Amino acid sequence: MKNDNKSDQPAKESTTEEATGIVDPKITRRTFLKGSAAVSAGAMAPMYLAGISKSFAAKSGAVKIGHIEDLSGNLAVYGVQKDHAAQLAVSEINAGLTLKGGPVGSGGLGAMSNHATSAPVMGNGDKDLKVVDDGGKLSASGMAFVEDEDVLVDSGESGILGREVELLNTDGQSNNNIWQQLTKKLIQEDKVDCLVAGFTSAEREAIRPIVDQFKQLYIYTNQYEGGVADSNTFCTGAICEQQVIPVVDYMIQKFGPRVYTIAADYNFGQLTAAWTRAFAPQVGGEIIGEEFVPLSVSDFTTSIAKVQAAKPDWVFTLLVGSNQSNYYPQAAATGLKYPMASTVNMAQGYEHRRFKAPSLNRMYNCVNYIEEVPTARNRAFVKRWYKMFPDDPYIGQMAQNTYFSIHMYAKAARIAGTTDQEEVKRALESGLHIEAPEGTVFMEPSTHHCSHYIRLATADADHNVSFVREWPSIQPWWLQRLGVNLVKHKEYKQYIPDEDPFFKS
Amino acid sequence: MTSKILHLIGGDADIGTSKTFWIGFVIAVILFALYPTQVSEFRASNVSYYLLNIPLALGMALLWGYCGVLSFGHVAYFGIAGYTYGIIAGNMAGNSFGPIAGVLGGLLASALVAGIFAYFVFYSRVREWIIPILTLVLTLLLETFLGQTAGYQWRVGSVLLGGYNGMTGIPAFQIGSFVFMGYSFYYFCMVIVLACYVGLRMLLNSKFGQVVTAIREDPLRTEIFGYDIRARQWLVFVLSALLAAISGLLYVQWGNYITPSQVGLLSAALPVIWAAVGGRTSLLAVLIATIVLNWVTFTLSSQGNQYAMVIIGAALVITMLFFPRGIVIMLAEWIGKVTNRKNSGAAT
Amino acid sequence: METDALALSLTYQFGTNAAFLFLAALGLIVILGMMNIINLAHGELMMMGAYVATITHNQLGLPFPLAVIVSFFAVAVFGAILELLIVRRFYGRELGALVVTWGISLILGQGTLLVFGPFMPAIKIPGGSYSYGGFSYSAYWLILIAISIALIAGLYWLYRYTNYGLQARATMQNAEMAKALGVPTNRVYLLTFSLGAGLAGLSGALLAPTSTIAPFMGQQFVAPAFITVVVGGAANVISGAVGSSVLLSAIKTPIGMAYGAFLGTVALLIASLIIIRIMPDGISAAIQKLMDRRRTRKTK
Repeated sequence: MKNDNKSDQPAKESTTEEATGIVDPKITRRTFLKGSAAVSAGAMAPMYLAGISKSFAAKSGAVKIGHIEDLSGNLAVYGVQKDHAAQLAVSEINAGLTLKGGPVGSGGLGAMSNHATSAPVMGNGDKDLKVVDDGGKLSASGMAFVEDEDVLVDSGESGILGREVELLNTDGQSNNNIWQQLTKKLIQEDKVDCLVAGFTSAEREAIRPIVDQFKQLYIYTNQYEGGVADSNTFCTGAICEQQVIPVVDYMIQKFGPRVYTIAADYNFGQLTAAWTRAFAPQVGGEIIGEEFVPLSVSDFTTSIAKVQAAKPDWVFTLLVGSNQSNYYPQAAATGLKYPMASTVNMAQGYEHRRFKAPSLNRMYNCVNYIEEVPTARNRAFVKRWYKMFPDDPYIGQMAQNTYFSIHMYAKAARIAGTTDQEEVKRALESGLHIEAPEGTVFMEPSTHHCSHYIRLATADADHNVSFVREWPSIQPWWLQRLGVNLVKHKEYKQYIPDEDPFFKS
Repeated sequence: MTSKILHLIGGDADIGTSKTFWIGFVIAVILFALYPTQVSEFRASNVSYYLLNIPLALGMALLWGYCGVLSFGHVAYFGIAGYTYGIIAGNMAGNSFGPIAGVLGGLLASALVAGIFAYFVFYSRVREWIIPILTLVLTLLLETFLGQTAGYQWRVGSVLLGGYNGMTGIPAFQIGSFVFMGYSFYYFCMVIVLACYVGLRMLLNSKFGQVVTAIREDPLRTEIFGYDIRARQWLVFVLSALLAAISGLLYVQWGNYITPSQVGLLSAALPVIWAAVGGRTSLLAVLIATIVLNWVTFTLSSQGNQYAMVIIGAALVITMLFFPRGIVIMLAEWIGKVTNRKNSGAAT
Repeated sequence: METDALALSLTYQFGTNAAFLFLAALGLIVILGMMNIINLAHGELMMMGAYVATITHNQLGLPFPLAVIVSFFAVAVFGAILELLIVRRFYGRELGALVVTWGISLILGQGTLLVFGPFMPAIKIPGGSYSYGGFSYSAYWLILIAISIALIAGLYWLYRYTNYGLQARATMQNAEMAKALGVPTNRVYLLTFSLGAGLAGLSGALLAPTSTIAPFMGQQFVAPAFITVVVGGAANVISGAVGSSVLLSAIKTPIGMAYGAFLGTVALLIASLIIIRIMPDGISAAIQKLMDRRRTRKTK
């Protein structure tokens, strides 16, 4: 990656005058971390930072959060949801509210990164790999864990560090060039304290070089193919190891080993298919057919016939975009009755609400969030959302990610005691957890990715959603396996499965 | 000699031949040159984005406005040049000659593809109205191909094509150890745009340019006069592809990044629209329209306005309804008329 | 797998692919093929048809066939208004029309998003499915194939045997001459554009159940539509469009089945380039030449 150490750029040095509070924030944070060292994630009492940061409220002026999403054009369906999520989160922060959570510290999930060069997990660099466990036992109520009813609590201040939060939301118009221009504007002209942006991987890759050039703190909230190891970027969406393996494992146990993959012919589809190819044999499966469909294709007659010719036990559909969701009604009308699994549908574009039943009958999907999540805290979140945006059609997975990510930023800034970006990045690397509507989310320091509460959701013949299995915390372990430790070594690249010997069959 | 060159530049192949115009032109160039000293690096970099699209738009004006051939797929050459530059310069990363080799390679690759394609089109005398669709199909083909090049098997040397996510980390342009970025890149773009404009104006004022215009007016008659119109159309097509390639090169040097959507349907329509709105029969009009339309699009989107696309669409419809030959051309003619009337009024 | 089952399935796929191309191109056959208007709002006209069908069927409870007919008329009326207000001024200025229709498509697409939101509830695909030898067939696609054939026959009749058809053909061939002979060319243009828009709406409505109903759904049809019409050529737009959708489907189907959707798409694009290179005037001109030759041979 270039540009990241160009000396002629106005790199944002950590300015000490911002930390003119009574106590040096660095010291406070370290002592704080030590204090919580023995506390582990599961058993931890909610630790929100009410009041702690008041003494650091030194700098005046609003805290600026830059936000780019597609409010018009083809991708607006997702962008508008995420924009509303950002508005909701900012209004809550300004109203003095915060989500529960705080630093877990050493001894918590993934906190080894503060001490080890590369995180010691999952047999590094060889072909030997353990696959995830089968999740927790369901309780009588269908829940693996009992959770807090309400996770939104008083933060003890309005805004962040006593400063109001200002949301600069812009419209990327589903156009990569405009994304680049807007990123430059938000960073160079508006000097935002935090940038939250990005739906497609193409958009993220378009702006990441700019982010790195200016060492901008950047949060990417989308689910994606995984592999971004970037010191300035924090990825809060779910990735392949958290979604693909659980669902493939479940489907093979439940329906049989013969898998047919039909995927969008671009990065996300190809890489997710590569994960499936590599992991299906680990859990006794076999890929009997694979087809990649260009994004422009919207007539699936031939693809459907190919699935029928292959006679699989179930079909793994990794189709993206509104053209490609045509596959579901067309397959249903042709009488294709195979069970289906996916990692993208339902939770993003609410296909189960849009398509007439039973197009998505027996569709299984591993999600970190879906509006139907049956917990009290989620119902409270959904209620708050529709109070603010009564006309919205659905709250998708990415919208929830954006929502908790902005709250997480606020928390990190309070820990850092400043909005200085390098300090906030360090705070985000402190082993932070937050009680999101989905459940507990943990920002894993060494990879800048989150552990998620993953649920296997399924739609029935009437498109009612139910949950058949859940995994309260799946780690983003793939980058750790590759030896990535961003706390110790700065990196600015995206890994792809070809770089892991495990994927070379 | 000098007077001949001046004549070539000042000739009437483009709007603006009067002394007043040239004074205005020089003032405009000076203002553009002074602009970066007054604004932040971000603003300058943003305006360089408007500027770097101009060669592509001028290529459209040359091919469509002056030669009468519409290509709906010139972004293909934009993309080919950008990708080729990325591959060559990326593989030679660290070598200060990498970017220059990349530029040469990009231009060559675009010219080659355009040359072969144009040979098929013009030497088989394809019907005029089919050319836009043929060019569009070519660029869609390129987009479909590039879109599925994620993964390691699509690696050229050490550079990944990157599929739909695009090619990242493309080196900026440099000569020796001087890297063109921010303010310096702005001046780099400005010089190239100026060179393209003046060069094209000279070309179109030359005899070659007059023949090209004659082909637009009446291909049959021109051919009967003994001119090989196919060779000239071919040459103009390749030239305009080279101009598109220049934009493509500047684009990847500006953003260090390119994706297949850059050669997709939405991008393909843009240069056609810039040319049509400004007035495709004038280089300067197209140039101005390119800057203004890019500026409007960006300004609307930076305000997070959902109506941006509606406003742009309405502007296009209104422009074409009331300024059918292009808004800049018709405004220029109106200004010309007003000043003429004043002058003649003063004389009597 | 039995060979006859595979052969039947390939035939079915061939039919649906051809019907898809033909339906996508339907409105454009008239507007681009006959009137020479490069209508970049074609996709949005199809989208309007789909929206009208969805609203009348899902919200007003009209039976689906009736909803399709309503969409035809609704979009035809919209097309007429468009012609009167805007397109009228762009005859003979194809490239101005191109920019204007692009502007219209932006307004319609984003406008629909602002008014109706990102998605509409889908229409259930009518009819069930049949299966034979491991493959199954959608009844609705079989109906669509039949409707395509009926539409071809209807269009042929309209342009061959009606007064309007005669006037339209005369106007498109030589508007000045037609006008001199008393053909109300303005009205012919209005009717033709409105018919083209209506047909786009009709096929949008017909394809709506197989598709996501969204503001930008039209974009998926634009490229196949333009390719089909151009490969078909202008000599006789109806036979051209039929010929090109059949030929392109015959290339795309077997390659798609054997090598996957990506190469199927690539084959379609390359085939269209080659066809235009061999037959610069499109398939319809080649067909006409063939028929002329046969006729002259007969008379000899």
